[in-house]
Amino acid sequence: MDILIENATQIMDGIRAWADRVVEGIAAYLSNPIEFVEFYTFVVRWIFPVLAVLVLLRCVLPLLRSSGSDRIWGFLEIKDAYRIPIMHWENSIGRSKLSDIVINLPFVSRSHAVLSYGESGWTIADLGSKGGVRVNGEIIEKSGRVEIGDTISFASAEFQFVPEEEGIERIKRKSRLDWLGKLGPNITAGKTFLFILVFQLLGAIQIILSKEEGSPLGVLYPFLLLIAAEGIYYFILSKFSKKYRELELLIYFLCGMNLFVVAVTAPGSLMKQVVAIILGMIVYAAIQLIIKDVGRGRKLKYILVGCSILLMLLNLTIGEARFGAKNWINLGFITFQPMEFVKVAFVLAGTATLDKLLTTRNLTAFIGFSGTCIAALILMRDLGTSVIFFITFLVIAFMRSGDIRTIAFISAGAVLGAFAVVSFLPYIASRFQAWGHVWEFADTIGYQQTRTLMYSASGGLLGLGGGNGYLVGIPAADTDLVFGILCEEWGFIVALCAVLMIVFLAFYVLFLMRGCKSSFYAISACGAVSIFLIQTALNVFGSLDLLPLTGVTLPFVSNGGSSMVVCWALLSFIKAADERNRPDGGDFALDTDETREGAGA
Amino acid sequence: MKLLTRRAFGLLILTLLLVAGVLIFTVNYAINADSWAQHATNKHLYTDGQLKTAGKLYDRNGEILLQTVDGIQKYNVDKTVRSALLHAVGDSYGNIVTSAQVAYSDKLSGWDPLNGAYRFNNNLSSFNSDMTLTLDGELCAAAYQAMKGRKGTVGIYNYKTGALLCMVSMPTFDPENRPDVEAKPDQYEGVYMNRLFSAAYTPGSVFKLVTAAAAMDHLENIHTRVYQCEGERIINGAKVTCPKSHGNVTLEQALAESCNIAFAEISLELGGKTLQNYAEKAGFNASIKIDGIRTLEGKVNVSEAEGGDLAWAGIGQYSNTANPLTLMTYVGSIANDGIRVTPRLIRETNLLSLLPGDRLRKKRVLSEETAETLGIMMRNNVKESYGEHNFKGLELCAKSGTAEVGGDEKPHSWFVGYLNREDCPLAFVVVIENGGSGSKVAGSVAGKVLQIAVQRVAEE
Repeated sequence: MDILIENATQIMDGIRAWADRVVEGIAAYLSNPIEFVEFYTFVVRWIFPVLAVLVLLRCVLPLLRSSGSDRIWGFLEIKDAYRIPIMHWENSIGRSKLSDIVINLPFVSRSHAVLSYGESGWTIADLGSKGGVRVNGEIIEKSGRVEIGDTISFASAEFQFVPEEEGIERIKRKSRLDWLGKLGPNITAGKTFLFILVFQLLGAIQIILSKEEGSPLGVLYPFLLLIAAEGIYYFILSKFSKKYRELELLIYFLCGMNLFVVAVTAPGSLMKQVVAIILGMIVYAAIQLIIKDVGRGRKLKYILVGCSILLMLLNLTIGEARFGAKNWINLGFITFQPMEFVKVAFVLAGTATLDKLLTTRNLTAFIGFSGTCIAALILMRDLGTSVIFFITFLVIAFMRSGDIRTIAFISAGAVLGAFAVVSFLPYIASRFQAWGHVWEFADTIGYQQTRTLMYSASGGLLGLGGGNGYLVGIPAADTDLVFGILCEEWGFIVALCAVLMIVFLAFYVLFLMRGCKSSFYAISACGAVSIFLIQTALNVFGSLDLLPLTGVTLPFVSNGGSSMVVCWALLSFIKAADERNRPDGGDFALDTDETREGAGA
Repeated sequence: MKLLTRRAFGLLILTLLLVAGVLIFTVNYAINADSWAQHATNKHLYTDGQLKTAGKLYDRNGEILLQTVDGIQKYNVDKTVRSALLHAVGDSYGNIVTSAQVAYSDKLSGWDPLNGAYRFNNNLSSFNSDMTLTLDGELCAAAYQAMKGRKGTVGIYNYKTGALLCMVSMPTFDPENRPDVEAKPDQYEGVYMNRLFSAAYTPGSVFKLVTAAAAMDHLENIHTRVYQCEGERIINGAKVTCPKSHGNVTLEQALAESCNIAFAEISLELGGKTLQNYAEKAGFNASIKIDGIRTLEGKVNVSEAEGGDLAWAGIGQYSNTANPLTLMTYVGSIANDGIRVTPRLIRETNLLSLLPGDRLRKKRVLSEETAETLGIMMRNNVKESYGEHNFKGLELCAKSGTAEVGGDEKPHSWFVGYLNREDCPLAFVVVIENGGSGSKVAGSVAGKVLQIAVQRVAEE
């Protein structure tokens, strides 16, 4: 009994002591007057992660929805038997399962022909088949025109080329990701856009409140300008485009993060950055218009490749060095990084239409151009960008040739070359030296990485609030270490969402591949998204010491005008690969009209 | 397009690599974020390398040991307490790695995984981050004064609850008036080392407590045996000496008089393996984790030793080294019926800790019988050799050690033991480097400090 009483009093004493502590703690809280800023941050730091996750999900789910129509451009018909739909502008025909139109007859070659649509209407190209291709009984040497109603025969399999008819039920393409799309059947783009605007406005106010000096308008105006530009472009999309708007919305979100980063690291270039975003949107729209026609796209390719060679020559002669790499051009009124623009030409240079791709397996021109780019980058001592070009080259080259041995051979050569470069250039070697154990070099060559890690960790999951970070004071924080700034000020959840948005772009492109109407779009979308992926990996993992720090930008998020415009330009290739219309995409009849027009009926 | 879909697999690999990287980083972040944040250059948590403690650090009586006021660290008001607790609390620059400021920086700084370093209202006294140590500031101050500036350490802990009450390491300094440590390398030799946790000394005769325990368990009729000591003996060519001839001694007398020759014979009979086994039971060759802080291992390697080496090993003079805290817990286990209670440094103050339930880490080291007999012998040591009048009312059981360190230097002075009192279950260790006689020098420090400890425990 005594023991019980003793224990009870002990527990009571303990509770009393603890309660005293709690009261003392609360009193300490209240003794400090709470400023409005403090209170604001306290509230919004919970809102930001919620909005970021919502925006991510609300953009991802609709884009993976397979509803909307798959266009059919015509049919190959066996009289009174059955018809095979023509789903693309470029269709490989043959016995192989990998052909778009499979004709499973023994005398048809595995890859027999390519039926494609271009400036001059539909053409058919023989891929060196044994049985040959005939149009209306006439043998086709290399390629020949096909008109509606013509009879096409592969070896001795005869088909009639018939136009797409109205009233035919459109074939729904089944996708393994269907269930994902079904998760959010009622997601409207307008609401998602509203969430983004709220995020950006609240974020801008947070940064303005956190600033002790300087005019608040200097920060507010650029954000308002951004919001206006986003609004106008969103309006244009809603009015004049029938495609999904979620891709643009994702990028709006990233551009907002970009301005948050610039507002705290380099407030002076905030206006320049907004102008770059707007310029990017214009370029984005323009490129889409141009490459709508594959023939125009091909012309653009030759023009841009020509310009790129000039740019690289210019860079090598009058280039300026910043952060060790000589990759800037100063024209007095404007400074920019030419190699950023070369990326656009590089992606285009790798493209080819399916008939070219299957007939000429010659990659010499592309390899030559890639080699020139990478050599120029090595001369500029820009290691990071040369890695981007090289890996993108591998991705495109494999799409072009399909030959894994060639790719392996090229890779092996490049790895050897890379070793040579690393051992010859002590500056680069020193980066590798710290890699993996940066804490041992916390104040020398591991300075940036350790700061990124420690300040990322300081942000926790919710972040400290925009403008309350210390990472901004570290060199290159606004470009190379942006992931750290996102983590510190906006929290790990928001930062992770931003990276996942870029990762999603890759899944999106892979998802679109099957439905692309031309290999031109498929290859350019793959090339563009590869560049995004590699930059993200090098930037994020470089700053976090999972990879050596190479100093490349995080697409859309890092500070930099050239980088922003080019990211938008590359994005246009991804957008062009998406042929689908959104469910509420307006008049269906209009759609068929245009289709027929496109089919050159 | 099927062909190109197939060939887009390069892109798929890239994508999966990036996803893998994101996963790796996320896992890394989850595991390591707290240690990344606790870097002295993190301006959210440190100012000029000083931890901006969000919480206050208290001693067991609620005295503030460390707090941050207006961004500046404030230690205890009393200079003696500050100096005595330097190694427990830590200096402002994180030099003492076993101190609370370094070992518990994540808790003290107020960092947490959800909020990171975020502090609402910049209020740095979040009671969430408060910590209370088991140490008694006044008692530590008394121990500091009793050491009179000599190098060494004093440790006292409750062998039933594990609470460390006193932990003083010398040399030390006042963290609020940091001296120029580099200018006086002799005076401040190893000042950043907590000698209780991180030192290892030659144990000397204190090690006979280990040998005696082994002898009781393994040698028949050990208590009736008589060893003959003539002051020196040659064993396999190695000379073992005693300060004087002890004549015919029993084990109990040998321990009380610290007769080297008797223990040399016992060691030879036990053999290296048994001795090694008992040394490891006593805590040698292992470090103890005290609320997350690891102690240095004491080293004993005698399984292969023979002859003279083995004889000297049993006396604690071979290549053996002992960590003071480890020996203290060994003595504590003798006091606690052979069960070692791992010492604790943090006193839980939250509501959860009030719930019943035994959260102490315990380990049986000796059989109850051996522990009891060894305890009686240690009590006898005090009565016969160290003088009961020096330790009035303490019911002291102890063993002294005078560890030869070679060269012209004076031996290290050891005194370990415990109070055989239900109301005051304390075990202790005192080491004074190059102090001379164990029982006289370290023993007198122990006597003074223990009298105060008994008073302090009675007051609680």
